[in-house]
Amino acid sequence: MSSSVSTTTAPTPRFRISRYRQLAWWVSGLACLFSLLGLLLCLLNPAIASPLKPGLDFTGGTQIQIERRCPAPACSAITAAQVQLQLAGVTLPPQAGDAPPRLTGTAVQVLDQGRSLVIRLPALSPTQSNAVITAISVAVGPLDPAGTSVNTIGPTLGAQLLQGSLISLLVSFAAISLYIAVRYDLLFAFLALLCLAHDVLITCGVFAWLGLVAGIEVDSLFAVSLITVAGYSVTDTVVVFDRIREQKTSLAHLPLQQQVDVAVDATLTRSLYTSLTTLLPLLGLIFFGGSSLFWFSVALAIGIAVGSWSSIGVAPTLLPVLSRR
Amino acid sequence: MARQQGWFALILALAIAAGALLFNFPLQLGLDLRGGSQLTLEVLPAGAVKTVKKEQLEAVKEVLERRINGLGVAESTLQTVGEDQLVLQLPGEQDPSRAAKVLGTTALLEFRAQKPGTEQEMQSLLQLKRQVQSVLNQKRARAAAASDRQSPPPEIQLKAEDLAQAMQKLGLSVPAGTSESDQLDLLLSTVNSKIVALYEPATLTGKDLTTAGRQQQQTGSGWDVTLSFNREGGDKFAALTKSIAGTRRLLGIVLDGRSISEASVGPEFKVAGISGGSASITGNFSAEESRDLEVQLRGGSLPLPIKVVEVRTVGPSLGAENIRTSLVASLSGLALVAVFMAVTYRLPGIVAVVALSLYALFNLAVYSLIPVTLSLPGIAGFILSIGMAVDANVLIFERIKEELRAGNTLIRSIDTGFSLALSSIVDGHVTGLISCAALFALGTGLVKGFAVTLAIGLLLSLFTSLTCTRSLIRVLMSYPALRRTIYFLPHAQLPLGAKS
Repeated sequence: MSSSVSTTTAPTPRFRISRYRQLAWWVSGLACLFSLLGLLLCLLNPAIASPLKPGLDFTGGTQIQIERRCPAPACSAITAAQVQLQLAGVTLPPQAGDAPPRLTGTAVQVLDQGRSLVIRLPALSPTQSNAVITAISVAVGPLDPAGTSVNTIGPTLGAQLLQGSLISLLVSFAAISLYIAVRYDLLFAFLALLCLAHDVLITCGVFAWLGLVAGIEVDSLFAVSLITVAGYSVTDTVVVFDRIREQKTSLAHLPLQQQVDVAVDATLTRSLYTSLTTLLPLLGLIFFGGSSLFWFSVALAIGIAVGSWSSIGVAPTLLPVLSRR
Repeated sequence: MARQQGWFALILALAIAAGALLFNFPLQLGLDLRGGSQLTLEVLPAGAVKTVKKEQLEAVKEVLERRINGLGVAESTLQTVGEDQLVLQLPGEQDPSRAAKVLGTTALLEFRAQKPGTEQEMQSLLQLKRQVQSVLNQKRARAAAASDRQSPPPEIQLKAEDLAQAMQKLGLSVPAGTSESDQLDLLLSTVNSKIVALYEPATLTGKDLTTAGRQQQQTGSGWDVTLSFNREGGDKFAALTKSIAGTRRLLGIVLDGRSISEASVGPEFKVAGISGGSASITGNFSAEESRDLEVQLRGGSLPLPIKVVEVRTVGPSLGAENIRTSLVASLSGLALVAVFMAVTYRLPGIVAVVALSLYALFNLAVYSLIPVTLSLPGIAGFILSIGMAVDANVLIFERIKEELRAGNTLIRSIDTGFSLALSSIVDGHVTGLISCAALFALGTGLVKGFAVTLAIGLLLSLFTSLTCTRSLIRVLMSYPALRRTIYFLPHAQLPLGAKS
């Protein structure tokens, strides 16, 4: 262990995080407020009425995505209203004694210059979904069966998915803080949890705003990304804390604030490089990946960037302030 | 040194084994990547069963497996999920409607004798049933002829007032604007359940069947479903037919609480009943209906009712698109990471790229070994675990650089670098694994797949970053030509007097 002492006996940090701590607190505070505002506006918006716009996974229902088989060079123009009108006239076969749902005012999205359609309906049985696809093919011409995708989530399953996601999120938070409390101490665990809440809140906030402005919905993959962000956030914070603990004896003569400066300076390169190397495959997925993983990758990229920020600017700078009490 | 070379040999052997494994057992791709249908079925509590338990779930699964085999979809898989759910995967199946229908019904077959003194009521119900059925049959035939562009057979009309009268008699009311065929369907199902109320409780059920088959009717275009009973069932059937032979009481065949066939038993069976242990159901079935019923009866009835709660169907070209784009995206991202590592960390960076490639190979080999079905969230978990593995290497190399800058010798710096980075790496991986455990225990389908791949990735990353990278570097350091700090750190960053 003598070598570790030799590296830290003459600490001259090139970068002192404590100089910028006011700025860091302001930036994080404002970002959190802005996120809370987004969540609140979503909640107050009568069309959404929940902090984030829930997708099919959580609300239940049927989503049909179809691809048209069009002659070259381009598909004939269709509008969402055309498809809605066609669907309103469809009578569906009944399912197991239940009256079939009426298809008035369904949500229809036209994608790729009219090449594909995404339709959101109440939960349908497979036979009823087939009836809908047949009705659409009457309206918009031949479809490519290989490009069709139908997802049906029963309403009770949607509620289960939401509940399961929330519970697993909370349980993993609790378990992680317990681990840090045992390995380090209670204050470290509190700060790691604070950072984690900060990162998750801002990621959610961005998606609340995206939901308000662009109608982006969150699905179970979003819940997955939040848990991953939480894991990354804690890892990042722990690396800094680990360094602080390691030099505690060798730097005992310095005030805690300076110890923190030394630790942040020593781990700064690692934090930035790690975020960068994790962001590279994610950016690959965002720019070249399929549409199915796009918003998932965006959520992760935001979360990891924010997590890296909070592990440098928030957790270490709050440590001296809170440990004095 | 010998120990390091031992590790090196072990890693090499593992890499060869992993390559051979992947070559012989290719990865299983999820339905979102290759197209197909996935159905989630929920088992509902019924009767005396208040909550569904593991045994009951298994019993339901057994019945469903037999039915799925009857459907003849290649490579289908059925797995239990949690306490009360089953997930059925039908690769390549684009239309899950038939599977949903065949699997979702209970298929409880009952043979019941008519209650004495209900002949009058039965007669009028049967008359109504025949009437409605013939109108529906005509409608069906007309629709089939229209789609085949043949001249349609003449349409039989049920007079509107007759329909309304029959509805009223049965105490039915329908909302205005319901189509005529919907009204007829409703009428038929009500008549069928009214008929069931006129029967005694069942003495013989589908449990006593040995097999079921089907045959085309000699007259007419319909199909019959044939049944063979076991010894006990044959005896029960004989006793049942004997009890009503020669009376005006009927033998009812009831499926899931709806009467599908009613038969009279002639006086010649008064003495011994219908013996021989076989029967057939003349239920006016189409070819497909009779085939589905045959499959259901062979598989046995479900001990508890089930409901289809989730259906996901992905077209094969969407699946192929997903694979292609996700692969290109992740590979291009990883290529950039490799370049970054080599430029930033020089020799150890290149070693890390080799170690990380081995890591990816081991990961895929474990997927094929367990086996893990690779789906989109699974790929995401894989990419993220690569991020964690890179992080472990970055932590180590930053430490080595620090030690070198402090003026330590190369070999010593490498050793301390590894040992000091250890606690951060372990903490980071353990917290990651804690998240995975929570996700796996509490999450559903997609989330679980992600948790599994991420957990495998984290465990392997601990192994590769602490053994592969380390022993590769140690082996390289045994060559004096490579033992130069310039391969680790630019000279400008070294303290004076430490240059070599």
